[in-house]
Amino acid sequence: MSLALIDAREWQNRFDLETGRKSSKQGPLVDMLGKVLSRHPYPGDVNEGANLWVTRTALDLVDHYAPDLVCLSYVQQFFANRHFSHAADTRDIMYRSAMVQAMTFIEATGYTPVIVGTGPLVPLKNDIDLSGLDGLAISSNWSARYCGLHRPSQNDLAIIQSIEGVERIVSKADWIDTFYHVEPDLEVEADPSLMPDYLIVAKEGYAFKTLGTTLRKPVNVPANNFEVPVYTTLDTGSGALNDIRQIKNLVLKGLDTRKIALILLEALDMSYFPPGTVMCANAADWFCHEPGDSFYLTLSTGRHQPFVYPAGYRYFDQDAEQIKFPFSGYMTAIPQNTLGCATPKRSIAVGNRSMFMHMVFGVDISIECFARNLFNQGLMGVIHRGDKFAERN
Amino acid sequence: MKCAFCEHRCDLGKGKSFCGMYQEKNGTVVEIFPNRWSTYSASRVESVPFYHAYPGSRSMIIGSAGCNFRCRYCSNGFIACQDPANVQDVMYEFEPEDLVRMAQKLGCHNIVFNVNEPAVSLPSLEAVKHYAGKAMIPMGCLTNGYTTPESTERLAKVFSFIHVGLKGFTDRFYREYVGIRSVEPVLKNIEALSRSCHVEVAFPVIEDVNDHELFDVAAFIAGIREDIPWHVFRLLPEHDMKESVYPNIERINQALASCRDKLHYIYFHNFVGSDWVNTLCPECKQVVVKRFSLGCSGDRLDEFMAPENRCSSCDTPIAMHGTKVSWNARQIRSTGGAKT
Repeated sequence: MSLALIDAREWQNRFDLETGRKSSKQGPLVDMLGKVLSRHPYPGDVNEGANLWVTRTALDLVDHYAPDLVCLSYVQQFFANRHFSHAADTRDIMYRSAMVQAMTFIEATGYTPVIVGTGPLVPLKNDIDLSGLDGLAISSNWSARYCGLHRPSQNDLAIIQSIEGVERIVSKADWIDTFYHVEPDLEVEADPSLMPDYLIVAKEGYAFKTLGTTLRKPVNVPANNFEVPVYTTLDTGSGALNDIRQIKNLVLKGLDTRKIALILLEALDMSYFPPGTVMCANAADWFCHEPGDSFYLTLSTGRHQPFVYPAGYRYFDQDAEQIKFPFSGYMTAIPQNTLGCATPKRSIAVGNRSMFMHMVFGVDISIECFARNLFNQGLMGVIHRGDKFAERN
Repeated sequence: MKCAFCEHRCDLGKGKSFCGMYQEKNGTVVEIFPNRWSTYSASRVESVPFYHAYPGSRSMIIGSAGCNFRCRYCSNGFIACQDPANVQDVMYEFEPEDLVRMAQKLGCHNIVFNVNEPAVSLPSLEAVKHYAGKAMIPMGCLTNGYTTPESTERLAKVFSFIHVGLKGFTDRFYREYVGIRSVEPVLKNIEALSRSCHVEVAFPVIEDVNDHELFDVAAFIAGIREDIPWHVFRLLPEHDMKESVYPNIERINQALASCRDKLHYIYFHNFVGSDWVNTLCPECKQVVVKRFSLGCSGDRLDEFMAPENRCSSCDTPIAMHGTKVSWNARQIRSTGGAKT
């Protein structure tokens, strides 16, 4: 039974993570987590202090939990540049500052770094409005490249073919096959009936404007980052590190001898990384993972994960009568085989990706902002595993 | 020529209206951007938040652009407080019948206008109502209640369930934080709308600014009807008040203690994890509806324990517009435009 500890500033409440029912769970670990949360109010997704908040909160949690594995995500520069236009030098400062925060954590703790960038943003060229089709087009707040299309007419497909910003139209079967070619034992976890009949793929710089996309027009969108930068001082052995799916096992192996910090820096490209950084594949054929659940889950599980919450999913047709994981966004189950689940060592995650970190890393304790559409609601701490704290304290 | 949609009563001879959505053309007031919508999405009716209208139902949420208020803390300031002419590139264009068809495509049981003020798009909404009515899809909205009497009547014909934002209880508050002269039209409209529609009232509380008005607001609503649901919102500091402090939850809740015997249904939320989102039977105080609070636009129904809108313990009627709707139900029992 995982516990969610909500901190809405000067006020906390506890819930069972899965049912959302109030919890009376108490104890030294809950007390400790509550105190850490109250010491670090979240300044907001686009606030300049949002990344400093990650570092300070993580350091505080490290002091009180002594984890072997730390997963961090720094996202302020992504939010700020996705929705707002900044001068080039301001952007540059933001990206450099994100790396400085990562290095500050490493220097303060001595953890061995594995730092992953999600790749650069590019200016929005235009949007692709698919609201007027006979079928139903669904994209999401945080996706630019992918849009699902349900029950299209022939006319819809002809219209889409003619749109300049569309790169390709892929049938559901071909989409799944693309990943079967790479991972033959891949499981499609999503309900097939809610998956789109077609995936529409935008060219770089375009973004869909459909059901599910945000009221706030993006200024920049993720580039097609088929490769992303990865920096580590871990020994990668005889084989070269060249795919983000290798990172999970690299981290697990490294944990045998050292403490490791897996750090995600969203929107950063190679130019902000230290010497020795390598580019790693982040794709299967034409499909590259955008910053979001599929990227984080692929990293954390070591396998491509585009079908846990697939693009264009008809999420609103899921049975809403029985609530599961109400504090976990659109996620309705704890993902399996994540990094945190795979190690018996102590693990934590801290980040400013909202309602997300506790699911994708599966670590013992996580702290993340609770922000929706940039509206700052406070913080959530999650305890998946309390037993390890009890063992040593 | 004067615009009669809201109490600004803008002189259109000098240009477009304050909200930027109306102009004079050939002696009549016309919309500048008819049938342009800033969003369409499927969401829970509780997320709006309507707690006493079609509980559990699936709503198609829509909005347009522009507003007749300039609330210093507006959560949707990036769309509501802009000149609508400057945000047309983010808008969707749906003819009224297409918007209703979209609601059907999404399996929605009702249509709710909640991004900005509906009075700024009233003719377009009347056209949507025409087709929604044919499809037996009820419509609801959030309004700031600053409409003229004739416009209020039109609103009440379009929407059968209405959430009125009462931002403060004094002219001074409305002048300083909203940018209008007086609260009086809002108070009159709450009374007027509650005679013909289901009405819920929201009050965004700002600590040390309007929290001392809580008792007076409760007394005002109770003077209309004790069973009007009242939502006290913890201010989410946004827009020009981004740097403001978040109101202290314990202190506001204590301030509400004196109000709780005035009204049957008082809620305190707009923050994640609130303990004050359940409906209690006004008679025996049993919980009859359980909800989750996920903060702004995120609330959801957990458990509905009032079959036929009656307390299962003592059979007391629970004020409810329409009955509980299953999320995936095809149709709902509409109560038309009748009040609760």
